[in-house]
Order: sequence, then structure tokens, then C-alpha cells
Amino acid sequence: MTAKIRRAVQVLFLLLFIGLFIAARYPYTSGFPADVLLRMSPLIPLFELLSDHRLSLIFLPALIILALTPFLGRFFCGWLCPLGTSIDVASKVVRSPSNRVGGKWEKLRFLKFALLLGCVILALVDIHVWGYLDPLSIFNRAMTVVLYPFGTLLVDGALQGVARIPGMEGAAYALLDPFKTYIMPEPQAHHQELFWILLLILGIFGAEKLSRRFWCRNICPAGAWLGFLGQFRMFERIVGEACPVCNKCQVECKMNAIPGGNVHQTSKVECIDCFNCGAVCPPKIKAITYRWRWKPYHTPVDISRRQVVRTSLASVAAIGLLNIGFPGRESRNRQVRPPGALPEAAFADKCIRCLECVRICRSNGGCLQPDAIHSSLEELWLPVAVMREGYCEYNCNLCGQVCPTDAIMPLSLEEKQHTPIGLAHFDKNLCIPFARNSDCIVCEEHCPTPDKAIKFDVKEVVTRGGEKKMVQYPYVIKELCIGCGICETRCPLPGAAGIYVTTANEHRYGTPVAAPGPAPNPYG
Amino acid sequence: MHRRQFLARTGAGLVGATLTSTAFDSLFAASAVPQVVWVENGEPAALLTAALKEFGGMRHFISRGDVVVVKPNMGWDRAPQYAANTNPDLVAAIVSECFAAGAKTVKVFDRTCNNPLRCYTSSGIEASATGAGADVSQIRDSRFVKKGINGDVVKEWEIYRDYLEADKVINVPIAKHHSLSRITLGLKNLMGVMGGNRGDLHNDFARKLVDIDRTILPTLTIIDAYRILTANGPVGGNLAHVKQPRTLIMSPCTVSADRTAIELFGLKLDDVPLVAHAVKSGVAKFDTNALQLKKVRLA
Repeated sequence: MTAKIRRAVQVLFLLLFIGLFIAARYPYTSGFPADVLLRMSPLIPLFELLSDHRLSLIFLPALIILALTPFLGRFFCGWLCPLGTSIDVASKVVRSPSNRVGGKWEKLRFLKFALLLGCVILALVDIHVWGYLDPLSIFNRAMTVVLYPFGTLLVDGALQGVARIPGMEGAAYALLDPFKTYIMPEPQAHHQELFWILLLILGIFGAEKLSRRFWCRNICPAGAWLGFLGQFRMFERIVGEACPVCNKCQVECKMNAIPGGNVHQTSKVECIDCFNCGAVCPPKIKAITYRWRWKPYHTPVDISRRQVVRTSLASVAAIGLLNIGFPGRESRNRQVRPPGALPEAAFADKCIRCLECVRICRSNGGCLQPDAIHSSLEELWLPVAVMREGYCEYNCNLCGQVCPTDAIMPLSLEEKQHTPIGLAHFDKNLCIPFARNSDCIVCEEHCPTPDKAIKFDVKEVVTRGGEKKMVQYPYVIKELCIGCGICETRCPLPGAAGIYVTTANEHRYGTPVAAPGPAPNPYG
Repeated sequence: MHRRQFLARTGAGLVGATLTSTAFDSLFAASAVPQVVWVENGEPAALLTAALKEFGGMRHFISRGDVVVVKPNMGWDRAPQYAANTNPDLVAAIVSECFAAGAKTVKVFDRTCNNPLRCYTSSGIEASATGAGADVSQIRDSRFVKKGINGDVVKEWEIYRDYLEADKVINVPIAKHHSLSRITLGLKNLMGVMGGNRGDLHNDFARKLVDIDRTILPTLTIIDAYRILTANGPVGGNLAHVKQPRTLIMSPCTVSADRTAIELFGLKLDDVPLVAHAVKSGVAKFDTNALQLKKVRLA
């Protein structure tokens, strides 16, 4: 019974996550914060405490979970985590082995504590890499880059394919139109880093072939953190006298939390409250009950002193290595961040790489992409504006509104329209008027500022045939350019653009700036 | 068919067509129908009604059962008062007139420059045209078809299928400033039904655009000059650049309408190379040097 309720809650939360993911799109006017469930990540308050020495109320969902964990243990993993739920689905698909076979991986359990410890040590010197392993972040990242675009491809492709069959067009569009209106209004998304993010998620799901909840048992630092907090948990599994030690619960335990030699025990660090043990206990016996105890027993965290020492040393080495990386001024110069982003170091620390900003950007200008590693590991999967493929929509400020950790601060539309995220530069070797003495001026046409940041000189040139003609030669006014990049997106050249945006003149949140002038609101 | 025979038949056909159309016109209109109508000093819907009256109503252009495409400019994520997009009230009024004239369906779409969902919403046209009963839909990439152009420079281009398949097309640009073509009017507005990399059209702009335009000319062109954008176009964004001539220009010939609208900006034909080239290339249905222009000023 309890296991059935648990399953219903799992499905409900998975649907809530997906629903909020879909809701994170233009026009985003419902007023309901689409990032609220991302702020449920139990790791966020831990690392906020470590780096900022405070606990913010915006992470209330996470704080509630953390407050309940000493009593209930890892209920988050078993009931709420969308990654956990999708792992359960994957486990059904790949047919995970029981603990008789999968139990042999028990020796890897320490890894999640080692990873958590490593993340903590790095965080103490302000290097935050835990976001890469945050389960909610991983789920949202996979949704953004892999699952949702693939869904668009399948549904869009299938229905458009049907529409091409003579006589079927009406029927196909009758299905496609509501789908395009209510579910997936964005055009097909294409994301860089697809391969690596796909590999990560396939690895997590594929590991179900080794044992159930392989990720949750051995790797997830959020699971380690919750397990650490729940080691004295008061809600206990009691095995009654009637137990004939059939070992069914031990073999079927999702987390292998019941020790092989002693089915009366439960690892409070590993148990995720799935209640499968009670459900698989034979009906005539039903020896397993659950209840509260004020004097609970304790199960220790599965990491040896030696492993702690090794992890600490490795972490210190990692800190050193991260500090001797290549500074890479040139690549840094093309890493345009979203409007409202904190200064780069703080931005990289706060960002958990959930890619919610990338997701919502796709429904608008579509410039944001997960970044690749150029010169430093920490650049990986930070949002970066790839303006050849999309631009920052002048009247849009949604990325800052859905950032769960405020790595991108929410800006009002007026503020955003006066916040340069970069500066456009002409590449005169490519730009058509300069390279070919021929008219173009598409960049100037699209420039959205109320006083265009791209202006042009008109000069007379003599053509090959000896005729005189007037050509418009564009240039950028630095003081007017906000680096939105529509010029780079719309440049009609086939490959590299004749104009591109760099971080020159970018303004990061919280840094001093000259007071902006009065802003007209072109939106309404 | 022999050349001589062909010439003779074409000639006969032309004479016949001219005679019939003249006869037809004189049957229905007491006085001669103007080639271009200029109406000023009114709200968008009133301007439209007055202009249509000069042609004998929308029935002069739309027949019962027609599938009509109304092509406004809604290319930019801007509210109507910024004069970057066609007036939404005018579009709604045109849609209503089409239905009143017996149109079966009226489709409204535009290939936008900013995010299409935003443009459809911010321009106010999606709401107003839907309210008038039009079928307002987003552009689908799969619905562009290659069309033979065989022009001077352009040999082939992608055009939106719904546009090509429509029985009648009403082109509704807004008159505004544009750096490349100086001002943008009816000929330029037709870019909104063109696929492919439209940026490629921007060098040798006039020749390329006229090449394509002459193969897809609309039934009727209605230039919205209720508000016009005089600088920083075609996006605008500064209300100081918006003027309100409260005018509408209507013609069954896009070039004649554009030629007439140039006056709004105090420019001459040679200032607007696109229109000048269209005139020179013989795209106009009428003699643009001696247009029968009817000006109406509403009280």
C-alpha cells in the first residue's frame, strides 16, 4: 500500500518537473516560478552555507527536505527526485539484476561520500563543481539538451511526415496544431554539447544494468549528503519475530540497504523509504513494519578513514591543477554570458549547470547554449551566448527569472535593455560591403536599440565596369551597442559572420556602471 | 505553334481582354475606377471603408468562396504605436471586409525577423485578426516551395505555399523608414512570404527583389500610413520617430501604390531605388507617370 502511494508520488513529481520545464518558456506570465522545484536540490543550501555562510529563503523547498531528513532519511531519493524516478523507469527497461548479482558493487558505495567530500573541500576554496553531479540539475540538463529536443523531433517529424501523405494533411495538422500551440511552440532546438550530456545520462541509465539505482547507491553526492544527515533517522524498519529469513526483502531492496547476513538491520544511510521490503514480504508472514523510535540506532557512513585521507589529498591536488590552467584570454573573450549574470568567478560558482536559462532562451531569441571546455574545466556547461545561431531578444528578460540559484539575477526589462552583455565588432575581411564593395546592411536593419548602435557611411565606389555607385559601410557605436548579437545571427554570410560579439564592454550584475538614461518601453 | 500565329493570337487575346475589361468596368462603375486611392484623416477602419468605396467595395477584388491571404508586416517584436508593424485594427477591418465580400477563408501570416510568437502577439495582429475570424498561423518551414523565378539575377526562390495557392492576396505593408531601401512599402513587404536566406537578397537588392516580386504580385495593395516610422527603421523603438499622417493608400498595383506613398516621406522616385527599378522594369500595371490618383480627405 505504502509502496503504491510512493509510486504515485514519484510519478506526480516527475510530471510536475516536466510540467514546470515546459512552463519555462515565453511568454512566462503565469507568475508561478518555473524553477521552484530546482530549488529543492538538497545540495544547494549546504554549498551556500559553505561559500556565503548563510541560508537563503529562496531555497525553502530544499530547506524543508533537509529539515525532514534526520527524521525520515533519504525519502527525497525514493519519493521526489525526478532523476531517481527516471532511473527506476530505466531499471525496468534494461531489467536490472537483483542484489544477488548487483550486490557486488557494494564496495563502490564510498564513492558518493568521496565525491561529496571532494566537492566540499573544493567549495571551501570557492571552486564549485558539485552542480555537475546535482541530480535535479542533471535531470533538467538532460531535458533541455536531449529529451525535449528529441521529443520535438519525433512528434514534429512524425506528424509532418504523415502530412505529406496525400489526403492526410488535414488530419495531421489537426493533431500538430494544438501540439504546436500548447506543448512545443518552439522550433526544433539544436544544442552543442549534446554528445557529452547524452553520454552522461545514458551512463546513469545504462548503469542500471549493473544494479538497481546504481547512480543513487554509489555516485550521487545529494544522496550522500542526505544519507549523512539521516544516519540517526527515527523512522525505522522493524522486522518482527515471524520473519523466516527468506531474504526476499534483502534481494529486492532498491538500494541494497539491507545487509546480506542480517535482514533485521537496515542501513539508514542507504534506505530511501521506498517501502518495497514491506511489499515483497510474503502475505502470510508480513513481518515488516515501520515506526518511529525516540532512541534510534545508528548506521555509520560507508567511507573508511583511508578513503577520506585519499579523497582529501586528491581534492587538494585538484585545487592545484585547477589553478594552473591556461588563462585563455581569447576564448574568454567570446564567452558572452546572459544579461544579469554575476561577475565570471561568482557566476561559475553559483551556476549549477541546470540549463533552465538555455531552455527558456530557446523559446525566444535562442542564443544560449551549454558552453564547452575552452581553457578551464569550470566553463563546462555554463550558459554561453552563441550568437551566430541565435540572439538575445531585445524585449526578453526571462533567463534571469528562471535561474534557481540567482547566478543570473532577474533584471527588469528596462535594466536589461541597458545592460550590455558584449560588444559587436566588424570583421572587415568578411563583411560584404568592406570585402566586396557591395550593399548589405542587414545588421543595421535588425539592430533593435531605439538609436541604432550600427550606423553607416555612404561612400562612392567605382565598379569593375567603370560605373560609379554608392555603398553603405557599417560601423558600431560602442556606447549604444548592448551586444544582443542579432547582427551576428542575421549576417547573410554562409559560415563565419562579418560581425561578431565579444565580451568587451560587458556589464556584470553588481559591478559599478554609469547611470542609464530614461528608457522608452518599446514593448507596450 | 508558329511564331506569327502566336503573335496574332496573343494580340487578339490582348485586344479582347482590354475590350472586355473596359466594358466590364463601365458596366459597374458610373465614373472611371481610379488606379490609386489616397484617403487621409481618419481611423484605420474608416480609411479602409472610404478607399474601398472608390473601387466599388471589396467585391471588386474578392469573389464568393475565395481563399484570401492578407499579408501584413508583423516582422518585429514591437507594440503598434512604434509603427514597426501594420496597424492591427486595419488588418482586422480588411479581414472583415473580405468575409463580407464572401471569402471562404482569410489567412494571415508573416515570416518574422524577431521571435515569431512574440511578433504575432506584440503587433496585436494575431488577436485582432483572429477576432475578425481570420486563420492566423505561424510560418512552417516545411511549407515553403521552390518557385521558378527566371529573373535577371534570381532564377529560383522559396515562396510560402499558402501564399501561392491563395485565390486572392491582399498586401498590407506599413510605410516606414529602412536604411537599405530608404523606405519600405508594398514591394518590400512581400519578402515576408519568401523563404531561404533573405539576407542574400540584400546585395543587388532592387534587382533581386523585383525579380521575385513580379512573379508573386498581389491582388490588392493597401499601404498603412496611419502611423509611419521616419527614422531608425525598420525596427524603430523611439516614439519620436513616429508620425501620424492617418492615411491609407490603396491600389491593385503594388508599384503604383508604392510610387504614390513615397510622397508621405517627401521623397522623389529616384530616392527609392527599389521602387524606381520596379517602375523601370515594367512591373507596374499602370503608367506610373500619369496615375489616375483619387485623393479623399475625411471630415
